[in-house]
Amino acid sequence: MPETNQEALWRRAERILPTVTKPGRYVGGELNQVVKDWDKVRTHVALVFPDIYDLGQSNLGLMLLYDILNRRDDIAAERAFSPWLDMESALRENDIPLYSLESKRALADFNIIGVSLPYETLYTNFLNVLDLAHLPLRSAERDEAQPLIIAGGQSVYNPEPVAPFVDAFAIGEGEEIFLDVIDAYQAWQATGESKRELLATLATIPGIYVPSLYQVDYHPDGTIAEVRPTHPNAALPVLKRINAKLPPPLTRFLVPNVEVVQERVSVEIMRGCTRGCRFCHAGMVNRPIRERPMDEILAALKTGLDQTGYEEVSLLSLSSSDYSQIIPLINGLRELLQERQVNITLPSLRIESFTEDLMDELQSLTPGGGFTLAPEAGTERMRAIINKPISDEAFMSTVRSVFKHGWTSVKLYFMIGHPQETLEDVAAIAELCKAVLSEGRRIVGGRTRVHAGISTFIPKPHTPFQWVGFDSLESIRQKLDILHQGLHGAKVKMTWNDPESSLLESWLARGDRRLSDVIFKAWQNGARFDAWTDQFNLAHWQAAFNEVGLDPDFYSHRTRDLDETLPWEHINAGVKKAFLKKDYEWSLQGKTRPDCRGGCYGCGILSAFNELRLVAPDGGWKCP
Amino acid sequence: MGAGSAPEMTTQQEQITRIRLSYTKGPSLRFTGHLDLQRLWERLLRRSGLPIRYSQGYNPRARLNLASALPLGVISEAEMLDFWMDEPLPTETVRQHLAENAPPGLNILKVTSISLKEKALQEQMSASEYRVSFFDPQPEDALTEKVAALLAAEQLPRVRRKKSYDLRPLILDLQVTRSDTGEIELWMRLNAEPGATGRPDEVLEELGFANTDYLACRTGLILKA
Repeated sequence: MPETNQEALWRRAERILPTVTKPGRYVGGELNQVVKDWDKVRTHVALVFPDIYDLGQSNLGLMLLYDILNRRDDIAAERAFSPWLDMESALRENDIPLYSLESKRALADFNIIGVSLPYETLYTNFLNVLDLAHLPLRSAERDEAQPLIIAGGQSVYNPEPVAPFVDAFAIGEGEEIFLDVIDAYQAWQATGESKRELLATLATIPGIYVPSLYQVDYHPDGTIAEVRPTHPNAALPVLKRINAKLPPPLTRFLVPNVEVVQERVSVEIMRGCTRGCRFCHAGMVNRPIRERPMDEILAALKTGLDQTGYEEVSLLSLSSSDYSQIIPLINGLRELLQERQVNITLPSLRIESFTEDLMDELQSLTPGGGFTLAPEAGTERMRAIINKPISDEAFMSTVRSVFKHGWTSVKLYFMIGHPQETLEDVAAIAELCKAVLSEGRRIVGGRTRVHAGISTFIPKPHTPFQWVGFDSLESIRQKLDILHQGLHGAKVKMTWNDPESSLLESWLARGDRRLSDVIFKAWQNGARFDAWTDQFNLAHWQAAFNEVGLDPDFYSHRTRDLDETLPWEHINAGVKKAFLKKDYEWSLQGKTRPDCRGGCYGCGILSAFNELRLVAPDGGWKCP
Repeated sequence: MGAGSAPEMTTQQEQITRIRLSYTKGPSLRFTGHLDLQRLWERLLRRSGLPIRYSQGYNPRARLNLASALPLGVISEAEMLDFWMDEPLPTETVRQHLAENAPPGLNILKVTSISLKEKALQEQMSASEYRVSFFDPQPEDALTEKVAALLAAEQLPRVRRKKSYDLRPLILDLQVTRSDTGEIELWMRLNAEPGATGRPDEVLEELGFANTDYLACRTGLILKA
């Protein structure tokens, strides 16, 4: 029998594997993977996370889609990840295209490639994946015979910087939308029409944004004059897609054969957040808040453990302590812990929603480990500006309670570079850390450990701070110096983000369609793995800006006019611009906006999705 | 210890069962290293629902014992493992529970119940046998000549992890063979005692092959009598 292309590909790939680091990343074959008979399946979908397997395999969104798509008999969903640099070289030298882990098929053999873009620093890796798949990078250069490229994830709420490379974006929650895309694709296949017809049809699916059906016009100063649909099917704006009710949680987790991050059963306990921190992209774009029933969460954790044998479970949400049934849930978890001998992680606990009861419960659940709190700023003034209003006294009282309940190690998250931040606000961060240390020493003694994690504020689209300028590198470095000096000699461990990495993120987060040329050039210059501090190279990007003739400061440091048409304005995340503007103005006055579960402020989510809410009265919405 | 508690302890001890089994490590597990394999087995045992015996402490771990680390990239038809259970069960029941929960490439072959007093599996190890198939066809005569020259050597000095050693006495047997379909292969038996273990990749390197030229498969583990 003659060897097929696929067999030849794998035979050649197998020979290079012993020459690369951690080859187990590139072979698949895990417990719970789904391999279907290629020829018996109508539509083949490659799901790509454009970073290495070790990180991407733990991405819950990717695995949810994998499960949902593979439940359908006519669809085979397979996985692919970015190869590490040595594997990239080996693939290129041997002219082996990037292949899927299940069937070992070249990505170009798939009908659809779905790319997950949860953060902006994956963009060059995304281009590299297309190139390694031997596909043209730009949508306009790919024809009917080549895979349809769909992108989704949190960063595509501003799709413009990668718009020319993507055929269609899935805006919002992907659980339902991907199946609609496949239905439309299958119907289109039967007609034999052109790719443009397919794209025009996809544009009619709620939540799908087809960038090639829009024309962007610019003012001479580089700001946007108008975003115009060029096809009758192109909606303006494109409203994000959400689920009326959170679908059943994933229980069929793949169990990798080589070590990856976060090997555990993760269940999302709720989606969305009502706190309204003004810097928080996730808190704005993931509205409304919807809770999963407690019984469903506990049942999913048990099934997940049965199917994986994992030693750890994790509950995911933006603010776990705001879950309305948190105490009963913790009681249920305790039973699980005793029955199964597993560890439990419960991230994202909020200082405001802490009670002594909760602390008592947590103490018995996760004894010994570290406790994480995120005040985000050092002064009450600053915390009011960012709408994370916690008084110094309330914060210190929580800290005392943490130590009194037996924890000895506390991690504190802060950001620098907030709008209106003064050097006094920054110095106060160090003072607060030292105050925590001294409380710890008073209560638990010399075993006290305090760790300050410092990140840099990056203005994000669809947030009340979408107009403000990113802090200058000089200013960020000065603020880091203040913290180093302030903590000098104190036994507080400090970690911080590389300011240059933050700068890159600030360009990409609020970029327009023209920025795609910069991303392309940076990739050509060798930019890869920009999210990896040891791989990121700012010089590739500076050169790219020069070559394209765009001013990087225009994207990062410029404060936008409140009336400016922003590059992502034709994408509607459900929260109205007028609301964001008002919230921004309140921040300038230091005025806070309370948690909206106590009363609706009309952010726009209910007017956009009220009908959907009525469809699922048991959807767990916590809007008033 | 109170006099009353001693008999109870004994009863419990009698329930403890030591299981020895053999299993395959197929191509999809070819690059799963020894530590990853250990974790893979812990999870397989958890999934199986068998009354696995755990270590005490804050992070209880299943008590298990892998016979001999397989070099990365080598597959196997004959790996061995011991683990302990809190109560006895028919070996066929144990085999079924494990087989139903095993990942692709790991087939449970033989399950036996052995004495608690047996030495640790690693200490019982004596030798390993390997079959090596080549990606490109090999000329029989040239390979036979190379093998003969290697076996004729009195010493094969090598360095592994900055330590000098002699590979020659670790090669117990080495032959040119043919597969069922007629391709030229190698077969070897290498010493596998603690502290004196020969690796197939080292033998193949001495014969002039790179690790991209062949696929090695462990076909047998030989325990001391």
